[in-house]
Amino acid sequence: MNDTEQLIKDALGKLAERTPHPGPTLNALRRKHKRQRNNIFLIATAGVAAVAVLVFGGLVASDRYAPPTGGDAAAALVPDAAGGIALEYAPHWLPDGFVEGARGVSGGLSARVWVPSNAPVDAGDGGGPSVSVGSTPDHPDTTGWQEVSVRGLKGHLRVEGQTATVAWKAQDVVLVSVREVGDVRETALRVADSVRADAKLAYQPAFRLNGQPAARVGGTGPADWVARADTPARVQVSPRTPQLGGSRTPVSVRGKQGFVENGDVVVRDGDVWIIATGDLPVDELVAAVNQVELLKADTSWIRKR
Amino acid sequence: MTPSFDDFVADQVTPLLRYATVLTCDPHLAQDVVQEVLLRAQQKWDRIGSVDLPHAYVKRMVTNEYLSWRRRRAAKDVALCMTTLESVTPPVRDTTHHYDEREAMLQRIAKLPRKQRAAVVLRYYENYEDSEIAQMLGCAEGTVRSHISRALATLRMEHTPEPAGVGLRLGEGLS
Repeated sequence: MNDTEQLIKDALGKLAERTPHPGPTLNALRRKHKRQRNNIFLIATAGVAAVAVLVFGGLVASDRYAPPTGGDAAAALVPDAAGGIALEYAPHWLPDGFVEGARGVSGGLSARVWVPSNAPVDAGDGGGPSVSVGSTPDHPDTTGWQEVSVRGLKGHLRVEGQTATVAWKAQDVVLVSVREVGDVRETALRVADSVRADAKLAYQPAFRLNGQPAARVGGTGPADWVARADTPARVQVSPRTPQLGGSRTPVSVRGKQGFVENGDVVVRDGDVWIIATGDLPVDELVAAVNQVELLKADTSWIRKR
Repeated sequence: MTPSFDDFVADQVTPLLRYATVLTCDPHLAQDVVQEVLLRAQQKWDRIGSVDLPHAYVKRMVTNEYLSWRRRRAAKDVALCMTTLESVTPPVRDTTHHYDEREAMLQRIAKLPRKQRAAVVLRYYENYEDSEIAQMLGCAEGTVRSHISRALATLRMEHTPEPAGVGLRLGEGLS
């Protein structure tokens, strides 16, 4: 084995040390299995990484918690009077230069993600510095986590690589997750201490698919956003013009002329593009796009503190 | 005796996450991939649990999921795409020169085409033989050798060792 091959082995070994804790995956399996069994929700199959991160995330105490709504994971996703989904918690301190980049929901989990103001549109999803605050009815597995105090409440902290997560039980379980931001432990605890309940906060989905809200929306500004839902098909809605380069086959979708490219279904509807991808037959992707109910998205908060 | 799905998950979730992390170069994507695969495996457990090596079967599912995931995501996700290691965790600096070399190598591995990367991971992390890699990737052994050869050529070409003595510079300033 030569030097390059040995370096490859060493590098991959180092990468293996970043293996995430299995707790969130197991929790997600349990939640999704329960939903499957009860046939209440569609299964979110993929790509809610930013929201899934919040399973690790932290929770914050508040003096103004609303009464509990029960243990059902769906409780947190009950639309408010305006059609939004309550986000319930807001940090009152963030590292300098961080702005809100994404909001999302998944099962009973609701989350907000802050990223550096110059971060790309997918920041907080695939990687890079981020601060996430979320809430969920389900407490993560905190076995082995360090016990901490968050505004006088017992919480748990875990630092893993460049990510620190705080979880504590307030009205719901509140999660704070800080990634790649200076001293992540100190930052996560400071963010956690600043979290307060905020009854006015809501996630306004840009669309619904089979009655379920888009899993998340994020972007680089109020006019440059992407919303996504992950069902058996991944459906994405955005004012951004997609990069298209392959051969196109015309297809009728939503009563308009769309097209199929590399197995994906693409159509423009008004000011937005709708794209459905996934290892599914074209007619199923077309059906998914036809099921999309476009809504008036509130994106005014994107890239604001 | 067929293991229960719960027992299987309890035993294998961490190894699967580890494998997926190395394969995807992205711990968050690894979670998504493993979660997706386990959900599907759960639905078909009667069949999967009765094969000779369920963990090998599910590992192959993880590989295929990653390959198709990358393909469909790369197609037209105008945003929210999962980028690779470059946009994930920046290096946690330690003071050794070799550490930086590993990080640099990881970034180069993360840029490899997905099948080349999978072949490299299976060869150098899992220590698989060509025949095993071919079975895992569903291709011929010659194709495996081609993937690895091309990957090594890319990684070697981009790997320019620094001059000897660079690693001593910290010490020089202390003397």
